[in-house]
Amino acid sequence: MRPSTKSLFAALAFTALAAASGAGIAAEVKGAAPTDPALIEKIRKSNAECYACHTEAGLKNPPRADMDLAALTKFIHDPKQFDGSNHTGMECKVCHGQGYVAFPHAPEAKKSISECGECHATKALRVETQFEASVHAKNLKDAFTCQTCHDPHVYKVAAKVGDPRKIVAQDNAMCVDCHNSDLRYSAFSTALPTKKVRPDLYATHDWLPNARLHWSAVRCIECHTPVSPVKSLATSHEILAKDKSDKACVTCHSQDSALATRLYRYASTNVGADLGFANAQVLGSAYVVGATRNPLIDRAVIGLFGLTVLGLLGHGAVCVVLALIRRRRTS
Amino acid sequence: MSHRIYLLPPWLRLWHWTNAALIIVLAVTGASLHFAGEGGYLVPFSLAAKIHDIAGVALACAYGFFVLANIVTGNWWQYVPKPPGVLARCLTQARFYAFGIFRGEPHPYPPTVEANFNALQAVVYWFIMYLVVPTVVVTGLIFFYPELAPTKIYGLDGLLPVAMLHYIAGAVVILFMVAHIYLGTTGVRPTSLFKMMITGWHEE
Ligand code: HEC
Ligand code: HEC
Ligand code: HEC
Ligand code: HEC
Ligand code: HEC
Ligand code: HEC
Ligand code: HEC
Ligand code: HEM
Repeated sequence: MRPSTKSLFAALAFTALAAASGAGIAAEVKGAAPTDPALIEKIRKSNAECYACHTEAGLKNPPRADMDLAALTKFIHDPKQFDGSNHTGMECKVCHGQGYVAFPHAPEAKKSISECGECHATKALRVETQFEASVHAKNLKDAFTCQTCHDPHVYKVAAKVGDPRKIVAQDNAMCVDCHNSDLRYSAFSTALPTKKVRPDLYATHDWLPNARLHWSAVRCIECHTPVSPVKSLATSHEILAKDKSDKACVTCHSQDSALATRLYRYASTNVGADLGFANAQVLGSAYVVGATRNPLIDRAVIGLFGLTVLGLLGHGAVCVVLALIRRRRTS
Repeated sequence: MSHRIYLLPPWLRLWHWTNAALIIVLAVTGASLHFAGEGGYLVPFSLAAKIHDIAGVALACAYGFFVLANIVTGNWWQYVPKPPGVLARCLTQARFYAFGIFRGEPHPYPPTVEANFNALQAVVYWFIMYLVVPTVVVTGLIFFYPELAPTKIYGLDGLLPVAMLHYIAGAVVILFMVAHIYLGTTGVRPTSLFKMMITGWHEE
């Protein structure tokens, strides 16, 4: 082959490769939901086999008589929840492997459930580095995994949830389900060298006025994680020890509120922006004293105050001067 | 000490100074909340919120007392500008502040036991005490229970109109207070009206 043909071939091959990987971006992640109706139907049927037992309906109407129904109650799933999750449209078997297809399930089936990183290699690696530095990973050892917080059948990434109140509800439930439950908390705290009684969440946050209101409006991770140094991740997974947690009200309650870049990074602007409000995207679902204010109105109020004070001082000065002049005249 | 009349019962003087102190505290802490993070001259947010909450509830109680006492004693009548000629008397009073006061003219409507306030005072006090302050108190109380506010309004959080009203009405009270303190120095001597607010006796 002549050198020019050779490079032409290489260029063609490279283009083909680039095109293939480009087309592959959408379906890059293993097991991604297909768009082909025939394949969608195939997955629906395959998942329906699992749902025949693993739903409320399955529990009421078991397809087999030889099942341990008491054990099954612990493993009930809601198809609607799965359809609203990140992994909607995926086949159960992609993550669960072949071990669960037959019943009774294979004894070793649990070992072959895929880890997050098997499909999300790059992202999981970045998250893992931060997670390894968190209080949970450092102190609670291997018992604490990604699944401890993320139920792969339910969790939906914040960017796709949209409504900040819903993001808060989902993300805080991850923490509160454990930090507000003696049972679950103690199951994990046994990994600690000394026994630890679960600290009451409201008692440890009594310096925060109306903690209940705050916890419906902001996430635990807002104060308990640093800003992610990795730009491609919306939030850091490095849960800090309590002495490093953020106690400064002005992190949120000020014009350059961290809410805008963290919880509200996906929120769209609204009429508030047209009206000149700062942090208008926050104003879509919360009024935050110090943050969601209007610089134009503020300037008017400060200006009016200044004019009033100056006007009165001027009035007073003229009064005094004229009074002095009058007094000199009469004396 | 040519002419002395007793104008102000103890309850009114007590209320007045309580109210004054609370409003100054609320103004300073309120500004610190609203302009949080702007500079070191503000009260730290967490402390400001604590003080503002306590002073706010105290002011609401003081206001309740003020309204009740005014009804019981009949003092509310002082705040009603008496026709005819309310507008003309207001103008005369305004002209006095704009010109007459510079020439050392006497006050056009010195207080009497029957009419403690001149017409302009009555109108302004009525506006502040029966419109603006209740607005601040009610919106402040809603601030305590944000679930009372509408959830959404034109796609924005329902607490926004409550907060705006609280902020603007609060600003009006502060502007009034500044002017009010200044006019307090326009008695026979700069201190005589303040003395009256303490002793209850008006001197000419
Ligand atoms: C068998 C492969 C597979 C496994 C294992 C897996 N996922 Fe996914 N995940 C997917 C696919 C496919 C999607 C949908 C395509 C997409 O949006 O990237 C997805 C989407 C996501 C998303 C939303 C996309 C985004 O912005 O990152 C998140 C978050 C996510 N998965 C987290 C997890 C977590 C946490 C685990 C472990 C508990 C996990 N996944 C395990 C395949 C997998
Ligand atoms: C005929 C009913 C039935 C079907 C079909 C079924 N399962 Fe199960 N599964 C059970 C029962 C009952 C249990 C309770 C534990 C046991 O008896 O193994 C269970 C347990 C499980 C567990 C928990 C096991 C553990 O040790 O943590 C998983 C995971 C699971 N099933 C996944 C699946 C998946 C995925 C499918 C579909 C491919 C499926 N199952 C289909 C009845 C069924
Ligand atoms: C993205 C990967 C993924 C997909 C898709 C997936 N699972 Fe799972 N599933 C897991 C992982 C990981 C676990 C183990 C969780 C743990 O260790 O707590 C699990 C656990 C389970 C369990 C037992 C634990 C429990 O809480 O119930 C059941 C039952 C189950 N899955 C059923 C299903 C069914 C039914 C589907 C399809 C509708 C499905 N899974 C789809 C990853 C997946
Ligand atoms: C202590 C609880 C917790 C643990 C453990 C945890 N996460 Fe998360 N994760 C969260 C929270 C909270 C969010 C923020 C919600 C969001 O952005 O969707 C999140 C977000 C994510 C996201 C979306 C990030 C983005 O910017 O798109 C991914 C992907 C993810 N986690 C993967 C993992 C993996 C992989 C692990 C295990 C190494 C893990 N998580 C462990 C709580 C946890
Ligand atoms: C499954 C249980 C569980 C979940 C889920 C969980 N935690 Fe924890 N967390 C623990 C336990 C147990 C400890 C005690 C570790 C220690 O004292 O070293 C702890 C410790 C902490 C600490 C440190 C306390 C200290 O003494 O310094 C913080 C902060 C914290 N968790 C916040 C969170 C946040 C935020 C989330 C959600 C994103 C979360 N946790 C999710 C169990 C959990
Ligand atoms: C406004 C910021 C903020 C929010 C929101 C917040 N925390 Fe905290 N949290 C802190 C700070 C600061 C501390 C340290 C308090 C101290 O040491 O006095 C703390 C302490 C803790 C501790 C340690 C308690 C102890 O005494 O060991 C846990 C656990 C914890 N928080 C969990 C949570 C959970 C779960 C949520 C969400 C429901 C949450 N936090 C929301 C700021 C916050
Ligand atoms: C992580 C962000 C964040 C931090 C840190 C934070 N706040 Fe807030 N705060 C909010 C948000 C968001 C709201 C609005 C809640 C709502 O209206 O639903 C709020 C509301 C409030 C309110 C309620 C106003 C009302 O409606 O009555 C008070 C008071 C308050 N915060 C005080 C504080 C104080 C004091 C601190 C510091 C000790 C603090 N906050 C720290 C985010 C934060
Ligand atoms: C003249 C008196 C008052 C002034 C000048 C004032 C001013 C302010 C200002 C500027 C804010 C910040 C709001 C924002 O940023 O939009 C605020 C917040 C608040 N005010 Fe007032 N206010 C006054 C009286 C009251 C009263 C009487 C109450 C209660 C009855 C009250 C309760 C509150 C509450 C609950 C907040 C929310 C922050 C917090 O809880 O501390 N205020 N006020």
